[in-house]
Amino acid sequence: MNKTLLGYVPEKSLIYAVHPFVKLFFLLVVSLFPMFVSAPDWNIILMLVIVLLMWVSRVNMSTLKIYIPVAISMGTIILISYTVLGGTHPEFELVAKVWGVNIYWERIRDAIIVYFRVLPMIFTMVFFLSTSRERDIIVSMRSVRIPFVVTYITAMALRAAGMVLEDFQIVRQAEQARGFDPVGKSIAYKIRQYVMYMVPLFALSLRRSEEFTNALVARGYAFTGEATKVKRADYILTHYSYKYFDYIFIFLVSVSFIALLVLRYGYGYFSVDQSWLIDLLRNALSVRGG
Amino acid sequence: MSEVIKITDYSWKYINTKTPAVESINLTVEEGAFIGIIGPNGSGKTTLAYSMDGLIPGQYNGIKKGTVEVFGKEVEEYDRGELQKLVGVVFSDPEAQFTAMTVEDELVFGMENIGLSVPEIQERLDWVTELTDLKNLLEKPPYEISGGQKQRVALAAVLAMMPKILILDEPTSMLDPISRMRIFDVLAKLKKEKNSTIIVIEHSLENLIPLADRMVMMSDGELVLEDETQAFFQKTGFLFEKGAFPPGLIQFFYELNQRNLYNGDYPLTVAEASLKLNEMIKKGK
Amino acid sequence: MEENINYIQVTNLDYEYPDGTQALKGINLEIGKGEFIALIGQNGSGKTTLSKCLNGLYKPTRGDIIVDGLNSKKSSIVQMVRRVGYVFQNPDHQLFNSNCWDEIAYGPHNIELTEPEVVERVEEALKVVGLPKIYHKEHPFFLSKGLRQRVAIASILALRPQVIIVDEPTTGQDMKQSLEIMDFLKALNEELGHTIIIITHDMPIVAKYAKRVIAMGQARVVADGATREVFAQSEVLKETFLAPPQITQLAQSVADLGFDPGTLTVEEIINQFNSLTN
Repeated sequence: MNKTLLGYVPEKSLIYAVHPFVKLFFLLVVSLFPMFVSAPDWNIILMLVIVLLMWVSRVNMSTLKIYIPVAISMGTIILISYTVLGGTHPEFELVAKVWGVNIYWERIRDAIIVYFRVLPMIFTMVFFLSTSRERDIIVSMRSVRIPFVVTYITAMALRAAGMVLEDFQIVRQAEQARGFDPVGKSIAYKIRQYVMYMVPLFALSLRRSEEFTNALVARGYAFTGEATKVKRADYILTHYSYKYFDYIFIFLVSVSFIALLVLRYGYGYFSVDQSWLIDLLRNALSVRGG
Repeated sequence: MSEVIKITDYSWKYINTKTPAVESINLTVEEGAFIGIIGPNGSGKTTLAYSMDGLIPGQYNGIKKGTVEVFGKEVEEYDRGELQKLVGVVFSDPEAQFTAMTVEDELVFGMENIGLSVPEIQERLDWVTELTDLKNLLEKPPYEISGGQKQRVALAAVLAMMPKILILDEPTSMLDPISRMRIFDVLAKLKKEKNSTIIVIEHSLENLIPLADRMVMMSDGELVLEDETQAFFQKTGFLFEKGAFPPGLIQFFYELNQRNLYNGDYPLTVAEASLKLNEMIKKGK
Repeated sequence: MEENINYIQVTNLDYEYPDGTQALKGINLEIGKGEFIALIGQNGSGKTTLSKCLNGLYKPTRGDIIVDGLNSKKSSIVQMVRRVGYVFQNPDHQLFNSNCWDEIAYGPHNIELTEPEVVERVEEALKVVGLPKIYHKEHPFFLSKGLRQRVAIASILALRPQVIIVDEPTTGQDMKQSLEIMDFLKALNEELGHTIIIITHDMPIVAKYAKRVIAMGQARVVADGATREVFAQSEVLKETFLAPPQITQLAQSVADLGFDPGTLTVEEIINQFNSLTN
């Protein structure tokens, strides 16, 4: 099993053969797709395609279960903000009145459109993070010639995050070793106690940061000035080469995007009026609230 | 034999402290020497080490008096990054030194910083992984290797830059005995193969003594003793007084000496001690 | 004759991490009150895991740990930590408060003692560790490592556990500081009757302070007995990649001349030398 940023991928997965840049390209371009697609039906299909890709890459699908509560709470928040907090328009169709608040059809419709735009974007990100090791992210950034400082800071952030997570486990155990038992206590108590994690984590980071900086300097690295003008050999990139299928993937993704734009702006596809899901929903609500 | 480091009447006081961390230090280090620096915590060993690499005054604020010359040039006169090509430092915390996402990245980082080309990097990478026995760990990320392995990576990463002077600040204090031994094995190999100057600050004297040509003792910010290793440890009483604790063997023979039962050189290894004991017992019977 | 009921009884203990690695295999141990034990072994041999099983942080995968009559599988962590205290290797991991007084009060507050009881415990712990008054309201972050360790130990003492496990008390300390902390643990043991278990690699320290040594290797206990006896078994120690202190090694190398292979200190070897040359 190889550990990626969001979970484990088995040793023998197709995703390793793909050049990290392709994965980054996929993430950046495909997350733009939903921005041009209003009809939720299409966005749902996109989501399913991504899930399928995850399955093909042999990502551990049970890790996706973690995102279900996130998806639900996010959907609820979007729905409430749009229906309760959104404005009104004289031509809006009233669907129901809940606790004195007017619920308009248009607001529900807009909430659904937005929700199914955001979801695929998140899924694309999850797909990227589930199939990339930290090194892949750095390599993909270097291969598009992002300045070394940026990639290095990203790498350090990832490393720091890793160290903080390790420390977090130990600090939690240390709290328990001092009799900390949140079972059966008030929420305020629990929150106050969890805030206490910050103190040791902070202290540890502070202590480490001095040695960390010294280690960087001792390796000849400086963030500005003369040192950044050194031509870096980018040795790590020599391990990765583009294969024919990398070019095919890049081509496919680019072509899909262009096709999407053409269909959308040239032929008016993907609009809300054509969405059968929206129609379905509208009829259902009209029957009830009409 | 040229002088690679020359410290003259050097004092350093960190800002916000009342007394200088080190005072009136005079020290000369010859090329190719293996120097051990000992002393209680707070005696100024780390300050001395950092001064030789330009970390002081580069990274720290304070007041400097006297001179610290490396290869004939004051440390502040070097351009950023120049001195680091000549002097490498390994610190005590294996966690804090691992800055990259895989072992290979870590080893290559320093080499890229000094502008080496891909073939040069490849060559040095092979050499250093052979020397420190890291070939199987190249792909591993930091959270999958032990503290001892991380420290070997730190050492290898610095060695890959091929510094002329190598300084190690308590490199094994956080390691278990086996990992400790492996670090010293690498240092022993280095001493044999290359003519690098090596300076090691340590509390673990048992491993250090067989390798060190000369020893330095720091106490309360001052350099109180500097000598060839054997002569250094003959002054056992003085070392105790100043807060150092020589290893068991030396303590034993010092005790014998104090009771007028022994008059020669104190043994530096178990093997030497064993021989001497054999002689003495057989003579005494 | 009164039977010495062991304070800690470990029977057939196995522990497996969630990812499947077996950290402890078939551990059997009996620990009585008032012992001073050194737990030694290579990194990864299971010492820390064993300690965390003893204080209830980890529950055994198989086997039983009975502390003061309580089975760790059936007791809450809070019940266990009041009997077995564990001081982490790095004091920074366990200092949660902005001043030392509150830090030591943290434990007693957690177990819901009344305010007067908390004050009593804190005062007591501060006195025992001998923390100078000027530091009581200081932030632990700014103290030296030695003092931070004392605060950490005091904060465990405030829970009044019988057993105190200290993980690597001497790492990163110079000899004088190491002796100070060890003398302090010795006083806790001899004057206050606590059972002390230290996890360490520092063999001279083990030779000087520990009465009993438990050596671990590859998830098992490979040696368990009086310090002298365990150190004399050089073959066993080699298996765990440990070596006894230099003095012991020397004595073993000249054992044929009449030296005791279990020699622990410089005084002992001098006495033997004298008797062999007179």
